[in-house]
Amino acid sequence: MTTLTTTTPPEAPPERPLRPSRSPVADTTFRLVSLACGLAVLVILVLIAVSTTRRALPAFRAEGLGFVTSRRWAPAEGEFGALAFIYGTLVISALALVLAVPVSVGMALFLTQVAPRRLRQLVGYLIDLLAAVPSVVYGLWGIIVLAPAVTGFYSSIADVFSGVPLLGRFLGGPASGRSFFTAGLILALMITPIITAISREVFDTVPAGQKEAALALGATRWEMIRGAVFPWSKAGVVGGVMLGLGRAMGETIAAALVIGSNPQITANLFAPGDAMAAVIANQFGEAAGTHRAALIGLGVVLFVITILVNVAARAVVGRNAETVLGVAR
Amino acid sequence: MTRRPTPWRLLGVLLAFTLVGAACGDGDNTPEGNAADEETATTGQLEASPTSEPATGPSDDELAAATLNASGATFPEEFYAQAIDGFKEDQPNVTVNYQGVGSGAGRQALADQLVDFAGSDATVDEEDVAGFKGGEFLYFPTVAAPITVAYNLSGVDELNLSPEAIAGIFSRTITTWNDPAIAADNAGATLPATPIVVAHRAESSGTTDNFTSYLEAAAPDAFTLEPGSTVEWPADTQAGQGNSGVAQIVSSTAGAIGYVDLSDANATNLSVASVRNAAGEFVEPTTEAATAALEEVEVEADLSYDPLNAPGAEAYPITAPTWIIAYKNQPDAAKGNALKAFLGYVLGDAQEEAAEIDYAPLPDNLRERALAQIDQLVVSQ
Amino acid sequence: MSAAISSSSGAAAAAAPGGGRAFGVAKVGGTRRTKDRLATGLMGLALLVVAVPLGLVVFYVAQKGLAIFGIDFLTEDIPRDRVEGPGMGPAVVGTLLITAAATAMAVPLGVLGAVYVNEYGGKSRLARLIRFMGDVMSGVPSIVMGLFVYSVWVLQTGEYTGFAGSLALACLMLPIVIRATEGMLRLVPDDLREGSYALGARKSRTILTVVLPAALPGITSGCLLAVARAAGETAPLLFTIGIVRETNARLFDGTNTALSAQIFANANSPFQGAQERAWGAAFTLIALVVALSVLARVVASHFTVR
Repeated sequence: MTTLTTTTPPEAPPERPLRPSRSPVADTTFRLVSLACGLAVLVILVLIAVSTTRRALPAFRAEGLGFVTSRRWAPAEGEFGALAFIYGTLVISALALVLAVPVSVGMALFLTQVAPRRLRQLVGYLIDLLAAVPSVVYGLWGIIVLAPAVTGFYSSIADVFSGVPLLGRFLGGPASGRSFFTAGLILALMITPIITAISREVFDTVPAGQKEAALALGATRWEMIRGAVFPWSKAGVVGGVMLGLGRAMGETIAAALVIGSNPQITANLFAPGDAMAAVIANQFGEAAGTHRAALIGLGVVLFVITILVNVAARAVVGRNAETVLGVAR
Repeated sequence: MTRRPTPWRLLGVLLAFTLVGAACGDGDNTPEGNAADEETATTGQLEASPTSEPATGPSDDELAAATLNASGATFPEEFYAQAIDGFKEDQPNVTVNYQGVGSGAGRQALADQLVDFAGSDATVDEEDVAGFKGGEFLYFPTVAAPITVAYNLSGVDELNLSPEAIAGIFSRTITTWNDPAIAADNAGATLPATPIVVAHRAESSGTTDNFTSYLEAAAPDAFTLEPGSTVEWPADTQAGQGNSGVAQIVSSTAGAIGYVDLSDANATNLSVASVRNAAGEFVEPTTEAATAALEEVEVEADLSYDPLNAPGAEAYPITAPTWIIAYKNQPDAAKGNALKAFLGYVLGDAQEEAAEIDYAPLPDNLRERALAQIDQLVVSQ
Repeated sequence: MSAAISSSSGAAAAAAPGGGRAFGVAKVGGTRRTKDRLATGLMGLALLVVAVPLGLVVFYVAQKGLAIFGIDFLTEDIPRDRVEGPGMGPAVVGTLLITAAATAMAVPLGVLGAVYVNEYGGKSRLARLIRFMGDVMSGVPSIVMGLFVYSVWVLQTGEYTGFAGSLALACLMLPIVIRATEGMLRLVPDDLREGSYALGARKSRTILTVVLPAALPGITSGCLLAVARAAGETAPLLFTIGIVRETNARLFDGTNTALSAQIFANANSPFQGAQERAWGAAFTLIALVVALSVLARVVASHFTVR
């Protein structure tokens, strides 16, 4: 009655219908299979990096550093300077961030700190669903509805700002429906759900104790947000913003449709421009030889930039990475 | 982690929405395309053309199943689409897929042997010939059409433009609509001071090649850009994808001007300018004027020709040619025979419907030479 | 303690120049209150600023898309641009086929790869490298994936096929699947594993019969999101699948088309018919993607073992 059986039988008790335990061979096989799959991921990525860089080499060799510093892109004459496209990608991504971040963070704050529970859940769902809308649909809407409609709007703004010293250069000048600004708008629309979703998650992780302590000290809600929520969630929000940035930079179709396809470096945001991913999509089909290598080279440059942004995002977010960023993409 | 409520309600709403939509959608849709297809079906049999017999191809025999993939110019895209539908009635076992990606992309795809034939508004450059992996290739002219100079200027329904004016506009030396160079040819009209917005192609385009070659030939002093499939356009111009992309820009931007094939210009309801031809007449871009331009044309041995800036009082000066380019050697028997039959259809029955959709059919002599060339395709058995 | 309260109320009074005197219970002074109200107003405004355009887009697409949507739309061949009327059957079939094939390639590879990294790899350098590479891969722009598959597959095989598109989409889905699986596997408590080992099961059996089932709802949910993303992508398909106007249900033979590719192709068309079909395709695609996302949510919340 008080003695304990100390040995554990290797076989399961006969009543329980248990499958026979696997042989060592099956176990090792499974381990090898999963190792192979893990390695496959490595191999695929290395293959992408190597094959694209190799095909881009002729263009890099021909242009040298001029590939990224020269502004002149003239395939017919064998000149490939990508600066205008790099500029375009950076401009529309920056614009998208400027437009999207305040609004997304504000909305996330509203949902987590202010809104009643039911509204929060409903809007939360809608935001997550909107994050799934394909970019080509935004592009379609942009080119058919938005671009024609905003030309007049841009012209009015341009008229207002035309004399003004600094803003006049950015917002003055001849306005076009297909321009940096329209591309930035569409991208902002696209990345808002991502940034909102991540910010929401991050704001939710702020310990209630911190918030309550602030409120207990007599803070208004806004002061509580500034004092308790922001410091805690800064890293997470920044990480989310950078993921949104990465998404905006790699976006091809929506930007290609509304950016205007005119490679130029100009401060005027209402002017047409071009971006790396967009020009690849537009010109790759017809390209041969060095032109094709140059376009693949653009892809490599874009690849490198977005990797840097993504890696930096993960570094900034740190420990929160897996839980917080799981909603993205 | 709190448990989120299951969104069954949302799912249910979505399903209901879709079902309602499907139910409503069904009732409203009348496929109008069927009517047009029936018309082509009645004339679908390959018949002898009035002045000559078809030079080649199986007649009413059904071909073995085959799929022809093609890509290239957007200029003739509508014509080929209609020809493909008509050809399907004749030969139900053959499927032809044509993707409008621009002449340059089409030629490149053919060079890489990713497609069975290419549509191109321009001939292949000397230095690119070696890149064609399938060996020797042939040009088959198919249609021609006016390249319109389309514009968007409210209150101005008719516009006369000289080659010098057009060249100046696209070189950005003329930047407003009330410029004297334009006003000189338009005595009756009041031209506003609106800035001109120039629209052109974003990708390599045969239409661009033809348009800029015309300007170079007709107004060499006024046109400062280098002609070609890809042009280094001045800053503050706009680019669109395909002829339709340019049409869309012109249609949605006040003061815009662009070069668009007639089919797209009409579909977008654009105003088009009358251009002064080599004989000094201002001619509207119509299929009749295009046919007039083709009458006098000199055709080379490889069936390439240049109808730009054609002589003749009624000729429209910016009439552009287009070809189907295919390899002479067809290793796949089914595809080779299908190609021959398709070319025979394009140069036969399809020509009769070309004018309806704003394309000019080929003049008889050119058409016959093209039909004869089909025999040169070597199909392995 | 009263001293503490009075000093903090003094502090509160000092911090509230508008005249607020006490300790959270009493009224907040003018400027602070205004700021608070303003902030709340701005946050609410942010909600509107986001909701309105996004709502507009979806509403517009739904309105235009529903006008042409129907059984005919989903099954008939695609008419040429000029012709009006429904017909996107080939694109629907193409999207389903190509996405399904991509899923069949990406999911097993990604799940097993994540199993290796999390269960076998642990802290080893290889595991960390694979994890890092998975993250890096998620940053590759979709157009570069398309170029990659074009260079190494399409040019080598000499033809555009639906399968080439599947390859490109699978490359896109892989990092998402890996990340989702890894996250879920990590959440499975070690107790479950230890209990299984204690019963004499080997590692592979533990993984297959205990760990994976426990993580399955989350993994499924993550995979469904990856599928939704892949179904909506256009850029990887641009240079890989070509085009058709009749249904091609063969993945390895002949060109194909997809809803996203058709939307892109029709976006520039001036013809009414083509534009209407583009909206219909956009609606169909959104409906598909939303359905998958909702399903992902349902699976995640309903079936999770707690």
